Amino acid sequence: MTLVWALRNLGRHPLRTALSLAGIAVASAMLLDMVMLSGGIERSFERLLLGRGFQIRVSPKGTLPFDAEATIADAARVVARLRADPDVVAAAPVLGGALYARAGDSLVTLFGYGIDPSAQSIYRLERGRDLTVGDTVGILLSAPAAARLAAALGDTLRVVGRLDPGIAAAAVERRLVVRGMVRWLYDYRDQPSVGVVLPVMQRLVGAPDHMSLVVLKARDDAAVPRVVGRLRGAEPRLEVNSVAQLVVHFRERLVYFRQLSYILGTVSLIVTVLLVATLLTITVNERLGEIATLRALGVGRPGIVRQVLAEGTALTLLGTALGIGLGVLTARRLDQILTSFPGLPAALSFFVPEPRTLGIAGAILLLTGSVAGLYPAWLAASAPIAATLRAEAT
Amino acid sequence: MLRFAARLSLIALLSAVPGVRLGAQVPRIAVERRLARELDLHVGDTLRIGPAPDSLRARAVVGAIYEARPDPAGVLRPDRFVRLHLPDLADLLGTPDRVDRFGVALVPGTDPIQAAEVLNRAAFGFRAYPSSVIAAESSQTFLVVSRFHRAIGVITIVAAAVFLLCIMLLKVEERRLDAAVMRFVGVRRRTIFAALLLEACLVAAVGSLLGAGLALAAGLATNAYYQRLFDTALVFSLVTPRIVGFSVALSLGLGLGAGALAAWRLVRTSPMALWGRA
Repeated sequence: MTLVWALRNLGRHPLRTALSLAGIAVASAMLLDMVMLSGGIERSFERLLLGRGFQIRVSPKGTLPFDAEATIADAARVVARLRADPDVVAAAPVLGGALYARAGDSLVTLFGYGIDPSAQSIYRLERGRDLTVGDTVGILLSAPAAARLAAALGDTLRVVGRLDPGIAAAAVERRLVVRGMVRWLYDYRDQPSVGVVLPVMQRLVGAPDHMSLVVLKARDDAAVPRVVGRLRGAEPRLEVNSVAQLVVHFRERLVYFRQLSYILGTVSLIVTVLLVATLLTITVNERLGEIATLRALGVGRPGIVRQVLAEGTALTLLGTALGIGLGVLTARRLDQILTSFPGLPAALSFFVPEPRTLGIAGAILLLTGSVAGLYPAWLAASAPIAATLRAEAT
Repeated sequence: MLRFAARLSLIALLSAVPGVRLGAQVPRIAVERRLARELDLHVGDTLRIGPAPDSLRARAVVGAIYEARPDPAGVLRPDRFVRLHLPDLADLLGTPDRVDRFGVALVPGTDPIQAAEVLNRAAFGFRAYPSSVIAAESSQTFLVVSRFHRAIGVITIVAAAVFLLCIMLLKVEERRLDAAVMRFVGVRRRTIFAALLLEACLVAAVGSLLGAGLALAAGLATNAYYQRLFDTALVFSLVTPRIVGFSVALSLGLGLGAGALAAWRLVRTSPMALWGRA
């Protein structure tokens, strides 16, 4: 009943209520976006890394995976030792580097991955067939690479490595047959990437028995800290990180966005509080006579307080409902802007809408709207009955 | 995961060797101030350096500690740098007579784009770029951030505009009784409208000035916080006269528009209705 009265009161001033609702909607949309931004990129990054179920990354000491050109020497022995760990189910070595492919008279620059087909963690096959262990003449292409090379399944490519800048001649050249089209999970937008088996890649880039990183799958999530601790002790020249630890590193690099989201989220809340409080205060001042009459008829202070608070809550609820739709729409646009960062995996997202996130934003707003109604509610409840009625009569 | 970064000085790893005296042939290196502070290095200290953690085979003396030029691209990266003479670094990495890139200074008056084209036609194995192209390419990150800030700015302006409209409307509506009394005593509608508009203008002007002051204070606090957080001299928040002018003009325009709308509604209402006796 109180809520119905509150809605009726709001309906008495349609323009005022509409403007307040619009203000709360924009503020709550901003708050929602900032709540999504504050943790969205981390969740998106975590999902991306765990997409294939590999929970641990091993890279050269002092580096993060694919953050530098450093490689791990003695790759075969290292992989064998990692696979020997009782809690490690799979170990996927990867070597990355620049490759070139001949397209007519010119050379197309590509990014090459050397992988172990028996345990790969960095791509999904979309068409054709996968590489097999020992397939030294097969190659996998990403869609941008296929487009640049105008290549299709079954085509033969001339792939070269170790281009000598002095004479523009390749030290190594191989003919490779396109086996499949894949989506590389960590590629940035339009990155022309190709994949070959690890030994072929090692020969092409001139790094025999080297790899950029190893991706490990532990027996279960509970075993991950155990494996990480054990490997750090056993392999001091390697950087061993669980996905959770990589997320922490990532979070440190994106501290700017998290802090920006806190600041703008706080500003949104302040705007909401000011709007609701101002509107309710003026409404209460206008209705002091009505409130005094109700009090004179026997309506208690708690009843008056409830009604004013209900009005604030109704306003906030309606504004938030509008704001959620608006927030999701603006988040899409903002995400499109931020995911165009050069060098960022295309699969990452900065704004991740989740029921929990929406719930938190909604609850914060509702609480804020209710708190904003406290002062006008106190004003309404403490108005002197006789003096107010006398003032109204004159 | 981030893309490969091509740098010759990729992993010059360091390890302090206390109390070792070395001959004149030991290379001297310049260490970035932040790194020197983190490792407690001083000029004259001796280090072991190498291309990998298990091959710190060379020794070097800290010859200088330098302040790195503020670089927005590196502010969020934990990378620290040392500078070596080119032959020393080439020896260390086992890549004699190789470089990543050359910087070429042109004779004054030469067009860099044409010069790059001539160089690209003349030789294989490298690619020449004018500095402007490199700058445009390397500033992509900042263009994205700038686009994001602009989008956030648009949302903020919309929110502020609605807020201002709402407040102005409420502010003018609060003057219902005053307007009714003025109408009863014979004050013309136009005069009441002008008075309300003037009041809205004053409120908007004072609010704009307070807002500009708040922005300047917030900018100072932002710069102080982030410069300390990232240990850099970069300026993160820049409140320019153009930005202040735009904000003040926008808030004055919105305030006046909202005030005019609310005043117009008020003067069109009959005095009895304003008095609450209609």
